[in-house]
Amino acid sequence: MSDPLIGKIFDEFPDESNWDVVVIGGGPNGLIAGAYLAKAGLKVAVVERRYEVGGGLATEEILFPGYYSNMHAIYHMMVDYMPVLQDFNMNRHALMWLKPNAQTGMVFKDGQSLLLTRMVEDTKDSISKLSYKDAIAFGKLMRKWRKIVDEIIGPATYIPPMAPIEISMAMQRTKVGNEMLELVEQSPLEIITRNFENDRVRALLLYTSCMWGLDPRETGIGMFVALMLQRGVNKCYCDGGSHKFAGALAREIVGSGGTIVDAAEVNKIIMENGRATGVQLAEGRVLRSKVVMSTLDPHSTFLNLVGARNLPTDLKESIERWQYDKWSYYTLHVVSKEPPKYACDDPWINNAFMVIFGIESTEQLLAHWDNVVAGKLADNFGGHATCESLLDPHLVRSPKGGYVSFFQMHAPYEIEGGWEKKGKELEGAVLEKWRKAAPNMTKDNIIMTSHETPAGIEIRFPNMRRGGIKHGDYKPIQLGCFRPNQDCSSSKTPIEGLYVCGASTYPGGMVLGGSGYLGANKVAEDLGIKKWWKPTKPMEQYIKTYLE
Amino acid sequence: MPKEERYDFVIVGGGPNGVGTAAYLAKCGASVCVLEERPEAGGAVENTEPIPGVRITPHAMYMYAGPAPAFEQLELHKYGFRMDWSPQSKNLAEQQVRGVATTQGLAPITDKDAMGWAKISGMLTDPPFIKELLRSIFWCPPHPPEIEVTAENVPYMQVYKRHQPDVWTEELLDMTMFDLMDEYLETEPIKVMHAMVAWYSGAAGHWEGVAIPALGCDITLTIYGGISVPRGGMHDYFHSIIRCAIAHGTVVRTCCPVDEIIIQDGRAVGVRLRETATTDEKKIWANKAVISDVDVKQTFTKLVGPQHLSTSFRRKVEDISLKGGSIWVSHLLTREKLRCRPKFRNPVSGDDAGLGPYPCDSRAIYYEHVADVDGRRGKPTMPPERLMWLSTPGDRFDAADPQCTIPGRYLASPYYTYVPPPEYTVGGPDALDKVKEEINAYLRKAFSQTIENLNDDTLVHHWANTPYESEFRNSGLIGGTWCGTRHCDDQWGENRPIPELARYRTPIERLYLCNQTACHPGGLALMAIPYNLMHILIEDGLAEPGKWWYPSPWYIPQKGKISAVPLHAGGK
Repeated sequence: MSDPLIGKIFDEFPDESNWDVVVIGGGPNGLIAGAYLAKAGLKVAVVERRYEVGGGLATEEILFPGYYSNMHAIYHMMVDYMPVLQDFNMNRHALMWLKPNAQTGMVFKDGQSLLLTRMVEDTKDSISKLSYKDAIAFGKLMRKWRKIVDEIIGPATYIPPMAPIEISMAMQRTKVGNEMLELVEQSPLEIITRNFENDRVRALLLYTSCMWGLDPRETGIGMFVALMLQRGVNKCYCDGGSHKFAGALAREIVGSGGTIVDAAEVNKIIMENGRATGVQLAEGRVLRSKVVMSTLDPHSTFLNLVGARNLPTDLKESIERWQYDKWSYYTLHVVSKEPPKYACDDPWINNAFMVIFGIESTEQLLAHWDNVVAGKLADNFGGHATCESLLDPHLVRSPKGGYVSFFQMHAPYEIEGGWEKKGKELEGAVLEKWRKAAPNMTKDNIIMTSHETPAGIEIRFPNMRRGGIKHGDYKPIQLGCFRPNQDCSSSKTPIEGLYVCGASTYPGGMVLGGSGYLGANKVAEDLGIKKWWKPTKPMEQYIKTYLE
Repeated sequence: MPKEERYDFVIVGGGPNGVGTAAYLAKCGASVCVLEERPEAGGAVENTEPIPGVRITPHAMYMYAGPAPAFEQLELHKYGFRMDWSPQSKNLAEQQVRGVATTQGLAPITDKDAMGWAKISGMLTDPPFIKELLRSIFWCPPHPPEIEVTAENVPYMQVYKRHQPDVWTEELLDMTMFDLMDEYLETEPIKVMHAMVAWYSGAAGHWEGVAIPALGCDITLTIYGGISVPRGGMHDYFHSIIRCAIAHGTVVRTCCPVDEIIIQDGRAVGVRLRETATTDEKKIWANKAVISDVDVKQTFTKLVGPQHLSTSFRRKVEDISLKGGSIWVSHLLTREKLRCRPKFRNPVSGDDAGLGPYPCDSRAIYYEHVADVDGRRGKPTMPPERLMWLSTPGDRFDAADPQCTIPGRYLASPYYTYVPPPEYTVGGPDALDKVKEEINAYLRKAFSQTIENLNDDTLVHHWANTPYESEFRNSGLIGGTWCGTRHCDDQWGENRPIPELARYRTPIERLYLCNQTACHPGGLALMAIPYNLMHILIEDGLAEPGKWWYPSPWYIPQKGKISAVPLHAGGK
C-alpha cells in the first residue's frame, strides 16, 4: 500500500505467491498435514477462513465478557494413539492432557446413577448396583475390546484404508481380528442388548456408543461400539482448552518455516489443464502451488472450489450423493456461581468429565433419536453436560468468578419454526431438565447463558454443513475406503495435484488426526520427499501382523 | 521435559509488546520463552466470536502502528500480514467533505482547518515528513538520565526544526493539543473532534505539554493508518508478530501464569509459574534477562514483591496514575443496519453510521465529559444528549472479511464511551458494573442522538465489556484502561511511568519492562516498545542484532554503554 500524500506505508503479504503445498482449512487435519510437510522442508501455506486456526479445536470467549468455553471439540478420545503427539515435541508448547478417572456419569430421575470410569473395576462397582451380571459382562467385554482397539482400530486409524474384502482376509489372521469381524456385522443396539440385561446400563452404553452420530440400528458399524466405549472411558481434556492443541500444531508449522494465512477464505481452486495449481482467495490474492490439500467437506471442495464442470462424471455423481451427518447438536453454555451438583446416589458423578441426564430408558433414548432424525424435538430429550471449570481454571476471567459448563443434545439441522425461535425456547427446557438432575442449577445460581444451534454451527464453521461435526454421515458406504469415495479415500483425488484430508476423508472426524496425517504421508510419497517420521510402534505391529 | 528449563530471555506476558520483544530478540539469535496466562496470546489485540457469525473486537481495533520499523525489521508481510484499507478515510479530501458531527448536524471543515492540520501533521512539504514525525514521537527510546531534555533534543522538535521550521517554537513543549489547534485550525468542532480522538487514543487534547504526542496519537490513526483495520482484525496483525517470533525459535506457552519473578542477589534469574500452569516444570530460568509485559504495578507489587524494593520506589509505582482512559465498549447486534438521522448522513456516501466522535459542538461539552469521568468519577451524570462517545462503523471491513455473517443481522462494533477507572470510581471498583444494564440503556439513548433506528425492535444484543470486566479478562489492562497508565507530561517520555524506569531498566538487575503501562510511548500496539527496548538491550550487551537492525536517528546512547548504533552506521 502506498499513498500519494505519505508514500509507501509498509509491505503486505504478496498478491501472488508460490508454494509447494497449500492446505485449505486450518482445522486439526489441515494443521497436522501442514506440520508434517513443513518439517519435511516443503514450502507450506495453510489458509484459514476464520481469524483463528483450529477449526473445531476452539476455546473462545463465547460467554462474553469473561468466560471461555470449548465450544466444539472437548472430549479427545485418540490422544493415546495419534502419531502427531508422538512425532512432535508437544511439551515445548506446554500441551498437557488430563484424563479423569470419573469419565461419564448418567443420572436418573429417582436418584440412581451409573458411572463409567477409566479404571474398569470402578465402573464394575457402579454397574453392580443395578446388575452384578452386567458388571461382569462389562469387565470381560472391555478387556476384549481393548485388544481390538489397541491392536487394530487404534493403529489402523493412521494407515490407509483397505477394501472390505481385504479387511476380512487380513482380520482372519488372528483371534482378535476375528472377534472384530464378528462385531462389525452387528448393530450397536444388538451388541448392547445382547451383552447387557439392565435397561439403564443399556441406555448408558448405547448413548456412549452412538452419541457422535451412529445409527443404533445400522449393521456394519459394530466395531465403533468397541471403539466408542473403549475410548469413551479414556477421553482426555486438553489442559487450557482444546485450542491449545491447535496452537501447538500451528507453532510447529511456523517453527518449521511454514506460513499460516488467516481471515483468508478460498473461493476457487485454480485449475489449469485439468490440474489443481493453487488457490484464489476471496480478497483476490493468489497462492500457486504444486499441491493443493483440501480439508473441507466434499461439496465445498469439489462442487464449489474446483467446480462441478471440472469434475469427471463419476466423481461428480459420487460427490453429489454424499450425505451429511444425520444429526447435529444444540448446546447451552452456562456460567454459574456453583458447579452443578447432581442429586444422586454417587458423589463421584459431580467430578465426572461428562454427565448424561434426561434419559431414563433405551426406549426413550431411541425415541429421542428417531425424533431428531425426523427433524423433531419433543420433551423426551436428554443429553450430556460437562463442567469445564472443574478441569480448567483458565476459562474464567471475570470479576464475578463462577464456573463454565455446557449441556449438549442431539438436534436436527432443520426444525419447525426455525432455530432462532427454537434455540431460545430450548434454553428454558434445558435448564428445567438440568435443575431436575442437579437441583442447584436454579435461576439464582446462573450468571449467564448462551446457546449454539445447529444453524449456528454451520455459520461459525461453514463446512460443517447442516451442522454436521464430521463433514458427513458415518454409515458403511461412507466409511473406510468409501470415505468420501473409493477414488479419494487415500487422500489423492482423480484431479492431479489435488488431495483431500479433512473429516470427510478416511478415517473421519472427531479430531482423530488421521486424515491430515495420511494426507501428509501421501503427498510426501507423491512428491518424493523423504519422510522424517515413521509409524508408531502399534502401527508397525499392526502392519506386521495384518498387512505383510 | 528437561528438569531445568533455561532460555536467554523469559518474557512474562504474551501481549503485543511481550511477543514483539520476543520476535526482535529471537531474530537476534537468542533463545526466548514467552509465558501467557490466558488461553490465547495477544493481550488487548484480540477478537472473539461470542455468537456464531459475529466477530467483535473488545479492545484494539485500528492500525496505529503504520510507521513502525518492525514492519521492515521483522518482515511482517512474510507472516500473512494484510490490511483492509478503508477506502473513504484514506482520502483526506473526502474526510473534509464529510464534516464533523455536532448536535446541529455535520459542521463543515474549512480549508484553513484542513491546511492547518496538514501542516502540523507534516504533509505540506515535498516529500511529506509525517512518517518521520511519527517515528520521532513514538519510535525512539527516551534519552538517558545524564542528558538534559531540551527543545533542541526532543526528537519531534528536531523533526519540525528540520522540515517545518515555522512550526517549531519552544512553546510546543508546553502546549496542550487544543493550544496547538487554536493556532493552526479555525473552527471549533474539528478541534473538539481531534482532541477527543487523541484522548481516546492515549494523550488527551487538554493535557499540558503533550500537544505533539496527542497529535501523534491522532494522525498515526487517522492519516497514516487511514482509520483502517488489519484483515481479520487486529488479532491477525498480532498473528504476524507472534509467527515471526516463533519462526525465529521463540517458545510461546499459553495458560502459564507467572506468580513470581525469581530474584537472587538483586538480580532477576527466572520465574515461578502458578501451580495451575499447564507444564510439569514450574520454574523457568533466564540466562540473560527477565522482561515483564505485565503492567507496572503488578510487576513490582506482585511478581517482584516489596521485599526487593525501597519504600520510596514502591510508593512511586503505586502512585502512577491510571487515568489513561477506561472505556466502556459496546457492541450492537441489530436486525437492521443502523442508519444515521438525515442531518448526519455523509454527503459523499449518503449513509454512514460511522460518525467518529460525537457531539463535537464545543470544548465545553468535551470538558463536561472530562469532569464527569476524571473529576467526579462516578456514574455518568451528563444527559444522554450531551454524552460524548465514539463509534466505528462495520463497513470499515472488506466484504471478504465481514464482522457479521449471519443473514439479516448487522453488527455495529465497537462504540466507545469513557467512564472512570474502576480503581478510582466513587462507590468502589464494581459500582458501575452493578448498574450495567442501566448504563447500557443510557448509552443506547446517547447513540440514538445520531442513529434513527436503534430501538427495542431492532436490537438483538448489546454486549458490553466494562473497564472492570476488561481488567479481569485481560489483567494487563490495569484500570481497565485503553493505553495503560496516563500519557500526561508527568508520565511521558523520560518520565514514563516514573523517571527511574524510563529506559525500561529497573532497580532489579536483569529485569526489564516492556508493558504499555511501564514504557514510553505506551499503548496502541505500535510495536514501539519492543523497538525502543532493543536499543537498551544492545546497550547492556544482551542483544546483538544483524544487518537488518537500524536504531532511531534521534537515539542518544547512554554514557559507558554499548551504542545501539551499529558500527557500519558509525556506532561505537
